[in-house]
Amino acid sequence: MTAPNARYDEAGQALIVSGDWRVEAAAYLPRLDGKPVRVIDGAGIHQLDTNGAWLLLNAARVQADDPLPELRAFQPQHRALLQLVMQHGLATAASPPPRRDNILQSTGRGTLALWGHIVGLLGFVGQLTMELLGLITDPRHLRWRELAAQVRNVFVGAIPIVVGMLFLLGVVFAYLLGDQAQQYGANIFVVDGLLMAILREISPVIVAILIAGRTGAAITAQLGAMKVADEIDAIATLGLSPFAVLVVPRILALLIAMPLLVFLGDVAGMAGGMLITAQQLDIAPHMFMDRVSDVIQLKILVVGLVKAPVFAIFIGLIACRMGLSVSRDAKSVGEHTTSTVVQSVVAIIVLNAIFAVLFVQLDI
Amino acid sequence: MATREPVIEVSSVATQLGGHVIHRDLNLSVGRGEVVALIGGSGTGKSVLLREIIGLLKPQAGTIRLFGQSVGDGSPAQMNALRRRFGVLFQDGALFTSLSVEDNVATPLFEHTGLPHATCRRLARLKLALAGLPPDAATKRPSELSGGMRKRVALARALALDPELLFLDEPTSGLDPISARAFDHLIRLLADNLGLTVFLVTHDLDTLFSIIDRVIVLSDGKVLGSGTLADLKQMNDPWLRDYFAARAGHKGASHGN
Repeated sequence: MTAPNARYDEAGQALIVSGDWRVEAAAYLPRLDGKPVRVIDGAGIHQLDTNGAWLLLNAARVQADDPLPELRAFQPQHRALLQLVMQHGLATAASPPPRRDNILQSTGRGTLALWGHIVGLLGFVGQLTMELLGLITDPRHLRWRELAAQVRNVFVGAIPIVVGMLFLLGVVFAYLLGDQAQQYGANIFVVDGLLMAILREISPVIVAILIAGRTGAAITAQLGAMKVADEIDAIATLGLSPFAVLVVPRILALLIAMPLLVFLGDVAGMAGGMLITAQQLDIAPHMFMDRVSDVIQLKILVVGLVKAPVFAIFIGLIACRMGLSVSRDAKSVGEHTTSTVVQSVVAIIVLNAIFAVLFVQLDI
Repeated sequence: MATREPVIEVSSVATQLGGHVIHRDLNLSVGRGEVVALIGGSGTGKSVLLREIIGLLKPQAGTIRLFGQSVGDGSPAQMNALRRRFGVLFQDGALFTSLSVEDNVATPLFEHTGLPHATCRRLARLKLALAGLPPDAATKRPSELSGGMRKRVALARALALDPELLFLDEPTSGLDPISARAFDHLIRLLADNLGLTVFLVTHDLDTLFSIIDRVIVLSDGKVLGSGTLADLKQMNDPWLRDYFAARAGHKGASHGN
C-alpha cells in the first residue's frame, strides 16, 4: 500500500490528500497543524474506505459543528463515500466511560441481590408447593417418563464417580487412622472409626457435593439454555406448567437418587477401608465384617441416609430456580451455573452443621 | 463490465453430511461488485454452501477460492488475512450478548487494528450510523434491541473492517415487511457506495426483485441456473415456476408499482 499523505497547498487553504486511506492508515497519519480545513483535494487518493474516510475527516479536524469542507477533484466513488461518512459519521462522540461502583455501592448492590435471591427462593418454594399439592390430588400430570429419564441421569450416571471417590476416601481414611491406631495396638477399632466417619459424615456430604457439581450445574445450564431459546415460554403457552414438566421430575429424581447414591458410597467407602486394613493392619476381611456387624447400629446408617434427601431437595431447588431465572444472554447462563454450585455447597455445609448439632442434642 | 475479476469461485464442490449427499459437482462464480442471491428450496444446502465458502466447513471434494486464494488450504495467518477481507451477517445476528452494541461492532477493530480503543469505538459508532441505528443504541445490550435493530448491529459488525465482500444469511428473515425493505435498500446503498460484492442467501422474493443483480438457483445439489430474474423466469423448471407463482399470487393485484 502507499502511505496516506496530507499537506496544505501553498496558499494554506486546501488540504491535498493522496495515497491509500484505509484502516491501516491510522499508523501513518500525517500530522497537521490543526487549523480548520475549507477544501480537501482528493485527486491523489488511491484507495478509500469508510474507516479511512473517517480518519481523513478527523485528521482534517472537522468537528461536528464545523462547516463541511468542500471536496475537490475527488473520483466520484471516493466523493460519494466521503459524503456518506460526513452524513453519518460526524456525530460519533465518544461514549462516556462506564461508571464504576465504589465499595459501599457494590456492598449495597450485593446485599440487595442477596435479598432478592432469598425472596425469589421463597416464592419458588411456594409455587413448587402449590404445584406438588396439585400433583398429589391428580397424579396423572406427573411426567413418569421424564422422571425415569432424570433418575437414570442423576443416579446411574453418577455411580462410577461416587463409588470411585468414596472407595479412595475409605482407603485414605483407613490408612491414616490405621497408622495412628497401630501405635496403641488398637487395630480393630479402625473399623469402628471408619464405620462412624463414612456412614455418618463423609458419604452423605461428599455425595451431595458431587451431585451439586455434577447434576445441579447441569440442571441450571439446561434450564438456562432453554430459557434463552424461549422454550420455557413455549411450555407455558402450550398450557403446561414448567414446574410440572421440568422442575418436579428433576427434584423428585434427586430425591430418589441421593439416598441410593449415599448407600452405594457407604459400601464403597467400607470396601476401600477393608482393603487397607487387610493389607496394613492384618485384619482379614471376615474379621472386618464380624467387627462391623458387632458395632454397627441402625441409627448410624439412618443418620447418613436421612441427610441425603434433605441435601437433594436443596440442590434441586437451588438448581431449578437459578436455571429458570437466567436472563436472555449467554453470560447469564454461566453466572447462574456458578452460583448454583456455590449456593448448593454452602447449603450442604450449613445443613450438615445443623444436623450435627441436632443429632447430638437428640442423643442420636 | 464484460468480464469481472472473480471474487468467489466454487468449482466441483461435493459435500456429504451424515451420509446425505448435499452437493455434487457444484460450480459457481461471483464477480467483483456484484450483488448475488443464492436461492433454493429448504434443505438444498444453501447455508451449508455459505459455511463452506467462509471456511467454517470443509467440502469433501472440490475447491473454493476467495480473491483467488484457496479457502482452508492456507496457513492460519493467511486465513486470518483472508477473513479480514470479508464480513458475515449470520441469520440471527450472532451478536455477543455479554458485550454492548458498540463493543460488538468494535471487536473486529480491537483485534485487527492497532487503533486505540476509543477510536475503535468511534469508528464503531460510524458503522452503527451507516447501518441506520440511532446513536443511543450504541451503549445498549443486544438483548435490549428489537430483531430488526439486532440485524442492523450485525450488519455494522460485518462492515467494521470495511470488507470487500459481504455474506448475508437470510438478511430479512424475521423482519416486518417495512423493516425488510428498508434493510434491502440499506444493503444496496452500502454495496453501491462502498463498492461491495454481496453474496446473500434468501427466501425473500421482494429482496430478489429490488436489489439483486443476479440470482443463482440451487437444486438437487447443483446449480440449476444463474442469471437475472428475467432469465430465470424463462427457465422451465417446476420448482422455479412455483417459486415465482408464489409472488404472483399475492402481488397480482398491485402489479405495476
